[in-house]
Amino acid sequence: MMSSVKKDRLGKIIDASFFPLLIFFSLIMLIPVYILVKVSISQPVDVLTQHPTFLIRNFTWDHWIKVLTSGKLWPAFRKSFTVATLTAIFAIIIATPASYVISRLPKKVKYVVILGLFFTRMFPNVGIALPIAVKFLKWNLMDTYIGLVLAHLIEQLPFITWILVGTFEVIPVDLEKSAMIDGASRLRALMSIVIPNAAPGIAVATLFVWLNSWNEFTYALYLSLSENTLPLQVYYYVNRGGFFQTATYATILTIPVAVVTYALQRYLKSDYLGGAIK
Amino acid sequence: MNFKKVISLFLIMVLTFAILSGCTGTKEQASKGQKVLRVSMALGESEWEVMKNKVFPIFEKENNVKIEAVQIEASDLITKLEAMHKAGKMEIDIITQDNMQLAQLVEKGLVEDLSEYRDMIPENVIKALIPVGEFNGKLYFMPYRPNVEINFYNEKKFNEYGIKPPTNWDELLKVAKTFKEKEGIGRVAIKGTLDGNTTVQLFEFIRQAGGDPLVLNDEGSIKAYTFLKKLWPYLSPDSKKADWNTMNKYLATESVYYGANWPFGVNVIVRDGGKKEIKAHAGFAGPVKKSKVLGGEVIGIPVGSPNKELAVKFMQFLMSKETQELLVTEMGWPSCRTDAYGKVEEWQKPYFEAVKEALKVSQPRPNVTYWDTVDKALNDAFREIVIEGKDVKATLDKYAKAIADAKK
Repeated sequence: MMSSVKKDRLGKIIDASFFPLLIFFSLIMLIPVYILVKVSISQPVDVLTQHPTFLIRNFTWDHWIKVLTSGKLWPAFRKSFTVATLTAIFAIIIATPASYVISRLPKKVKYVVILGLFFTRMFPNVGIALPIAVKFLKWNLMDTYIGLVLAHLIEQLPFITWILVGTFEVIPVDLEKSAMIDGASRLRALMSIVIPNAAPGIAVATLFVWLNSWNEFTYALYLSLSENTLPLQVYYYVNRGGFFQTATYATILTIPVAVVTYALQRYLKSDYLGGAIK
Repeated sequence: MNFKKVISLFLIMVLTFAILSGCTGTKEQASKGQKVLRVSMALGESEWEVMKNKVFPIFEKENNVKIEAVQIEASDLITKLEAMHKAGKMEIDIITQDNMQLAQLVEKGLVEDLSEYRDMIPENVIKALIPVGEFNGKLYFMPYRPNVEINFYNEKKFNEYGIKPPTNWDELLKVAKTFKEKEGIGRVAIKGTLDGNTTVQLFEFIRQAGGDPLVLNDEGSIKAYTFLKKLWPYLSPDSKKADWNTMNKYLATESVYYGANWPFGVNVIVRDGGKKEIKAHAGFAGPVKKSKVLGGEVIGIPVGSPNKELAVKFMQFLMSKETQELLVTEMGWPSCRTDAYGKVEEWQKPYFEAVKEALKVSQPRPNVTYWDTVDKALNDAFREIVIEGKDVKATLDKYAKAIADAKK
């Protein structure tokens, strides 16, 4: 009796605090983004002061105009966007069948293979970037999109495979078997039954790979010479000390992230397999 | 929008970008018969404009060459050159590099020995700049651009409390104390990030007291660390995070009213930030003398440069009187030559004067092979003595021994 009263109280507290906490944590995450945007559209007098105001008082597009007309944004944007998207596409094409096979391996073998995948991620990028860059330079891949895509795949493939193994694991084998009993070939069962059911996992994996490639810095630094990626461009402004252009570039860096996340978020459903097997 | 549409949209955009980049090309194209000289520099946007529109065209026209400029920060240049060198594919013909980051380029064998071109150094080059490029008696780098930290101050705040920028250590302590008393928080900052930034400031304090940073437990060094220990409680808490980049922010946002930084801060704080109340002077003297660390950039040629001959010509061009005058006039850079006079913009003049004053008392850092030990010893001693409050003499003895051991 006492414990159910306690549970009720706890439930009420959780119910009452849910939205305030949600708002609080949302604000904590959104405020830095707001400040970034605010700096990029504020006049220096609003920002370069001991007590900057939270709201925008003196609005200006000057920093955006400067960045947009500098001629340095679009090549960097194009490079980052193309490389991130190609990396995501290649990663999905390569990792999806691989993950499916790994997920269907006997448990012990699967464990060893996944450990093997992670073994390649045990070394920090800064440690392995130099020998990799040397190899890529020998192959004339300096300053090329394909070079950067290949470099990004090195770090993204084990990661995406691991995510997708988890996705395929939870799709019951019986689903495929049912399809095959109904006359579908193994490939057809994979394409028509397994992949659609794995769509949320694939969407998450794509999102992660795209974002990781979009934000990647180390390989871009080694393999870019004439044309920067967007993170390198932000790095350039941070190094050169221009507060407002740094904020503008950083804001621009976040826009495609928000768009891609929004475009893919509707596929991120957790109850896809609810009632799949009767 | 369904999944297929999203994917299709992505693919179309990527394809378009890929085709566009394929069609337009990313590298600057040279005309037929023209050689391409790839130059690496680390510059701000406005500086690049001057280089590309006013400096490079002169050389391009004179030598029928196309200059392709690449932006590589000083710290990244070493790793990039190392990768190219190891791959046997040097893509850069000539570099200008921060003179604080030269040792690794020489140690790793990434730059050519330029001793045979020593005669190319113009007669009128400031003599103190030449040893900066020498290692073990060989000349690896040519003088190009001297630089020195100047001391920025917030004139409005100084006037508000009726104080003046300090001219010696006693006044520095007094200024720091005044701000702390009046505002309850320190407003004077030194660069205390315990890395190369702090090393530069420690070199200045030690030399101002007549000490030798490579000895570290001499009378001057003891005086310097003792003074810094005394000063520390009155400094801004931002001192621990203040480096060459953040110092600009602290000065611009008025969390610091007095601090030293490289002159590029003038463009960031005053020109771009509109903070006209931030002024600069050449700094203060210690008990023995005034002293500043001579920074700046030098010219080097990477080993395996595809166009070495042309690179040598360009090196000569950068040191020429005409080019140096152009750099003074257009960018307010102090010249490496005593005979090159430019006309800086009116608003830049007071800052330029401060730089010129500071350059008069500047000394280069020594090029020693055990530099990493010196750097670490100076910073560790700073942390233990100034921040943690340990005994000055005993701590300096410990680190002086570390340097002496490394010297052997």
